[in-house]
Amino acid sequence: MLEHQLIQSTGFRNIGPVGARTGFAVRIRIPNYHGTRLSQLDGFTVTVDGEVFPFEHNRLGIRDEVYTLAELREETSARWGLLEWGEILVDKPGGLAAGIHKVEVLARIRYSYFPPDVHVFPMHEARLATLCMA
Amino acid sequence: MGSLKYGVSVYSYVNDFGSVMTLEDAFDHIADTGATGIEILGEGQVEGYPEPSAAWLDTWFGLVDRYKLEPTNMCSWIDTRVTLTRNLTVEEGAADLAQDLRLAHRLGFKFLRPKFGVTSHELDPDPQWEAYVERNLDLAHQLGVVICPEIHAPTPIKHRVTDAYIAFIERTGTKNFGLMIDTGIFQDRPLTHWGSHQINDEMRQHMAFLNGIAVPPEQFLEIAQYVVFIQAKFHDIDDSLEDLNIPWRPVMSAILRSGYSGWLSSEYEGLRSPWRAIDQVRRQQVLLRKLEAEYEAGLLA
Repeated sequence: MLEHQLIQSTGFRNIGPVGARTGFAVRIRIPNYHGTRLSQLDGFTVTVDGEVFPFEHNRLGIRDEVYTLAELREETSARWGLLEWGEILVDKPGGLAAGIHKVEVLARIRYSYFPPDVHVFPMHEARLATLCMA
Repeated sequence: MGSLKYGVSVYSYVNDFGSVMTLEDAFDHIADTGATGIEILGEGQVEGYPEPSAAWLDTWFGLVDRYKLEPTNMCSWIDTRVTLTRNLTVEEGAADLAQDLRLAHRLGFKFLRPKFGVTSHELDPDPQWEAYVERNLDLAHQLGVVICPEIHAPTPIKHRVTDAYIAFIERTGTKNFGLMIDTGIFQDRPLTHWGSHQINDEMRQHMAFLNGIAVPPEQFLEIAQYVVFIQAKFHDIDDSLEDLNIPWRPVMSAILRSGYSGWLSSEYEGLRSPWRAIDQVRRQQVLLRKLEAEYEAGLLA
């Protein structure tokens, strides 16, 4: 099963070769109470120890696919189920140091059944998370 | 025994499900309340939605059989604003509704609640809803499923949204479309939490419905003939079995006097905190049955 909180402990990791990290990943549950088409998600802003990585630049990895924001916005077939995790992939040359970091995620989710002017709904969570391997 | 049927929506356990609660746990919790019906979110509890695997279907039917719970309503969504730049066409919306009708039927559900996209703060549904539904009335009839959009706060009973659904029923004469009433419309005292957040003054200003839209329960009698399902929405039942937000005595009185004999499906939507919903649902099941017994004993006017 998944961890209760949006931001999962496991999966917070650097990406790219050791010694030449290209960035890091944050594993999350779907920021919603039900599964959706991927097009209902509008990106994820990540903040680590105060450094902001805006949603426009981050990608979403789910199952064996990786989506840029532009691709996510147009993906009307693939879906994200309630019991599946996805990971936000963030570019940061060198990656993050091993250790405890303050990690924040602002997920932007769209609800067609919310009034149009507020239909992109922000969901924010923050926690301390531990990155194991530099 | 009274005329009402009691069920529980797995949505009640949204902050447990998938992290501290499995689907089988949910069946166990529901069956132990004495409820005989289970309501689900299609794209929530159905793994592999919209096409669950044979293995998952085996699991589902095994649970339905073991816990003796009858599938009641499946909730679905029609993603009207399917991308940021375009809306679903009528054909696409109708196809999504058809897909959910078939899945609901396959799992044994008799009701399907589609959530349509809205165009206003009063939750007017996108006008295409009528075409989505009308194109599926024959299919719903063949499958024996009733499509039931919900009347949900901040939309009251006396409102053009409700009127339009009733006009559709009258015009088509269909038995496969009716109203779902979410009892949150009767809330007459303010909520203290929304999701996992304590409600502050700013939230109350922007979302006045958090204080309750207090639809008079007697108005249920005026639309009861069109009501096919009731989601018994609630938020907080205290240690004395008093609901702090929904006035159940007049609500249950109106429901019972109307002659409604369908499902009352518990839908907890209070403080989002793991482990809280399980006992809250048990409290509500006791409270509602107690009021029904009082009504039958002539103690509930």
